[in-house]
Amino acid sequence: MIAIETRSLSKVYVSSFGKKKVRALSELNLTINEGTIFGLLGPNGAGKTTLVKLLLEIIFPTFGTAKLLGENVDNYLLKKKIGYLPENHKYPAYLTGGEVLKYFGKLSGLNGSTLDNRIDELLESVKLSKWKKAKVRTYSKGMLQRLGLAQALINDPQIIFLDEPTDGVDPIGRKEIRDILLELKAKSKTIFLNSHLLSEVEMITDRVGILNKGILVREGTVKELTETKEEYKITLLDESVDLGKYSTKNMIISKAYENSFIVKVDDIRTMNLLLDKLRSDSILIKEVMLQKSTLEEMFISLISEVDKSGTE
Amino acid sequence: MKNILIIIQFTIREALARKAFLFFAGVTLLVLIGTLLFFSLIDFDTLMGMSKSAGENRMVGKSVNSVVVTIIINPLATLGLLFAIFSSASFVPVLLEKGNIDIFLSKPISRTQLLIGKYLGVVLYVFINIFILITGIWLIISVKFGYWDTSFLTLSVMITFAFAVLYALIMFFGVLTKSSVLGMMVAYLIFLILSPVMLLYREKLHEFVSSELIKTLLDGLYFIIPQTAEIMGLALLDLAMGKGIVKLQPVITSFLFLILFLVFSLSLFKRKDF
Repeated sequence: MIAIETRSLSKVYVSSFGKKKVRALSELNLTINEGTIFGLLGPNGAGKTTLVKLLLEIIFPTFGTAKLLGENVDNYLLKKKIGYLPENHKYPAYLTGGEVLKYFGKLSGLNGSTLDNRIDELLESVKLSKWKKAKVRTYSKGMLQRLGLAQALINDPQIIFLDEPTDGVDPIGRKEIRDILLELKAKSKTIFLNSHLLSEVEMITDRVGILNKGILVREGTVKELTETKEEYKITLLDESVDLGKYSTKNMIISKAYENSFIVKVDDIRTMNLLLDKLRSDSILIKEVMLQKSTLEEMFISLISEVDKSGTE
Repeated sequence: MKNILIIIQFTIREALARKAFLFFAGVTLLVLIGTLLFFSLIDFDTLMGMSKSAGENRMVGKSVNSVVVTIIINPLATLGLLFAIFSSASFVPVLLEKGNIDIFLSKPISRTQLLIGKYLGVVLYVFINIFILITGIWLIISVKFGYWDTSFLTLSVMITFAFAVLYALIMFFGVLTKSSVLGMMVAYLIFLILSPVMLLYREKLHEFVSSELIKTLLDGLYFIIPQTAEIMGLALLDLAMGKGIVKLQPVITSFLFLILFLVFSLSLFKRKDF
């Protein structure tokens, strides 16, 4: 079943006197299946938060439609099945952690012992049980973030939107949050993750979308997005040898630095043929390394490519 | 309805946390002590000795009530209302703060329920404080003069009504600007200047205006602007005297103003991006 679906979803912000228009999201078509973790990446101002807010009807679309679990998002009762952790969330400072969960739990339709048990269970899983009766104003940034996650999960939602969930959380806390998200995925929950931490997104997401200036420029699995031509780095013992002369139409060799070269080949056989040739020419090889593109490298190169083509 | 009750409950909790209740309680205590001292100076036996029958006793009680309204309740209600406006104006802007409103709007509560709940919560908070004050004064004068007239307690409803009218306006500006400043300024302007001036015009200056056009404009303005000056003045006095609401028009036009601004606030809130 489809968890999240948008069709031509667009948002244009208009200034008070209508003089200035900012296109925050442009005709976005997106389909996310249930039970997956979807990571949305993009530079600041790309429209990531705008998309989440449109899906939750915190803001309204200029045109286009959005559906969650097959229903139009304009039905507020649909939110019984949704959890949301906004970026820079604020909770009433005078409430304790337990009271915050109680407040939002009640608004989500829970009450009595069901709610009390759920609060204890969630505080335990985000490691805040000892802080249940402490006022929120005494919480650190990381603790607030963990409380926010518990708040987003209070109603045992089917879709969870998380905007920078590990912001301000220490590495151990980040690992714990990742584990919670993977547990949720195992329970067939759909998670929509907005994050700047690309390594984190790479670790847990099934699919990734890259948004730039309101346009979805790429979407796919992490593997699909990071797949490049096979690339190797060869380091020779002798600095005077230039491998450029071995380039063919199937193999591009460029000098990286001093005695190191980058070799781009179509397949591993071509690479082996090159190594045979070098050995037969008595060239001494010091090291051969497979170069792998990370999500971060792919992201940076894609965004700069898009920006460059946009300015040309 | 359940959602509205939850919002009301937590709005009261918010008011408690802001120490506004504590301030009101402090003022109430001072006023009650002052009232006690004031009435301890009045010779009860002489006053009651002047009345020869039960009917006359009732007249004395009513006179005491009207004196209390004129010299204690009226100035106190005015000050209380000023403080109530000041202490409650930021409730809606705080709700609309980024990072806060997002969470509320992601929950299964409609925007109408959220805003109505906030409005009723704030009005209830003011009512509780005013009711405690009025009840305290009523107990003192009732014990002192042995005249138990529960209609005196309806003063708290009328004062809260005046606040509710002004708070509908404050809420509208709160939703519009996400700030408490403009709403507070307009509410003070109406309560302290426009409404008393319009009342003065209606009662004393009406016949001195020769131009029909200006007269029509001023009359129109009189009916548009909530008549808080009349509600807090003559209407309170009538209630204390046990006459009930003698002049309904200021109450009705002010109530229509309240409804109008609630509708404006809701329609604005329902289509606003956060």
